[in-house]
Amino acid sequence: MVGCFCGPDGAGRQKVIVRGAGMAHADRRIHVNQPPEIATPGCRTPFGRVFLEALLVAAAGMLFAYAANRLSPRGLTLTRNYFPAGISRSAPVAGTVTGTNALMLSPVQLLAARLQEQGLQSVDGRRAAELFHDPRYRTGGIAFIDARDEQRYREGHIPGACEFDPYYPEKYFSTALPVCQAAEQIVVYCNGGDCDDSENAALMLRDVGIENRKLFIYTGGMPEWITNGLPVEVGPRNSANLHRTNK
Amino acid sequence: MNIGSTSRKRIVADTFAVLARWLLGAVFVYLGLSKALHPAEFLKLVRQYDLVQNSLPLNSIAAFLPWFEVFCGLLLLAGIAVRGTAVLLITMLVPFTVVVFRRALAIQAIQHIPFCAVKFDCGCGTGEVFICRKLLENFLLMAFACWLLAGYGRKWCIRYALR
Repeated sequence: MVGCFCGPDGAGRQKVIVRGAGMAHADRRIHVNQPPEIATPGCRTPFGRVFLEALLVAAAGMLFAYAANRLSPRGLTLTRNYFPAGISRSAPVAGTVTGTNALMLSPVQLLAARLQEQGLQSVDGRRAAELFHDPRYRTGGIAFIDARDEQRYREGHIPGACEFDPYYPEKYFSTALPVCQAAEQIVVYCNGGDCDDSENAALMLRDVGIENRKLFIYTGGMPEWITNGLPVEVGPRNSANLHRTNK
Repeated sequence: MNIGSTSRKRIVADTFAVLARWLLGAVFVYLGLSKALHPAEFLKLVRQYDLVQNSLPLNSIAAFLPWFEVFCGLLLLAGIAVRGTAVLLITMLVPFTVVVFRRALAIQAIQHIPFCAVKFDCGCGTGEVFICRKLLENFLLMAFACWLLAGYGRKWCIRYALR
């Protein structure tokens, strides 16, 4: 007698050849993981079964992921362009610096060229320190904007700097915008090096009406500030919890 | 006698496969959560690979992939749709390993260092890692997933197969 057995586990054990009623049990044990000898019409193949299962899991997983991202307070907005300066990191700078010329430039020069292309200005560590010590900083004429995430901001930022994480701009617009509107010069910084969050933050501020001429990118960022031995404020803005870093 | 010996071997193999299933599930839950809780950081890392040039697919990868990994990890821990989930893990691990390998080659070419000395944050959820270690880990995870796909690890499953 030859039959088809579709087991509940559905994993390669579905078809068992039954040779006589008395041998059925023994055959099932012996041939438990062997390929079926006869493919019976109507029974889905083990491969097809697993593939279908994978599709079902994928669909359920996508729904789960979509819901989790929507419900998470840190979830991403799918349609937002988080990188107004450009998604591609390897794209050569258009205009003045292209092709092999771009390869001959240092990262700092490349960054300066990229900022120039975006119509943004950059400041170095010396100029950033001058602006920090400028009396206009106390009166709101100069503003510092920290474009890093909340955790790094709390761990230490330039004293008086306003927090503006470009990945969650709606959370910070209400506090950052009035500061930026009142200032004549706005210095935006992040982690220096290849960090371009300051650039993206500046472009987002520009998109909501802050004038381009006011925006400056501190390219050295927080690491350079600390290296230069300048004061760092820990905790929220104007917490007066100042630490002077060792030069 | 022969049948009994085969059966014992099968039981031992299946027990180890269950441990592998739990390990694989726990790894995916951990790695998925570590990325899902910091999606902006993961978004930046995905961007480094230059896989897509458009916001929507880039954001979708960064927003969904970590939670998808968590989902698959939970299914393996609970023992639900094990073989289907194993197929999905292999489907994720193979291309991911290829892009990590290619990126490591690019870094090696720029920095002029031995391949195994290449260290970078691949977006795996474990921070900066040496590439050879990462590749080894990935091959191990793929081997575990293949083992489950072969039909092992059926014990202590809520629902081993959906149908």
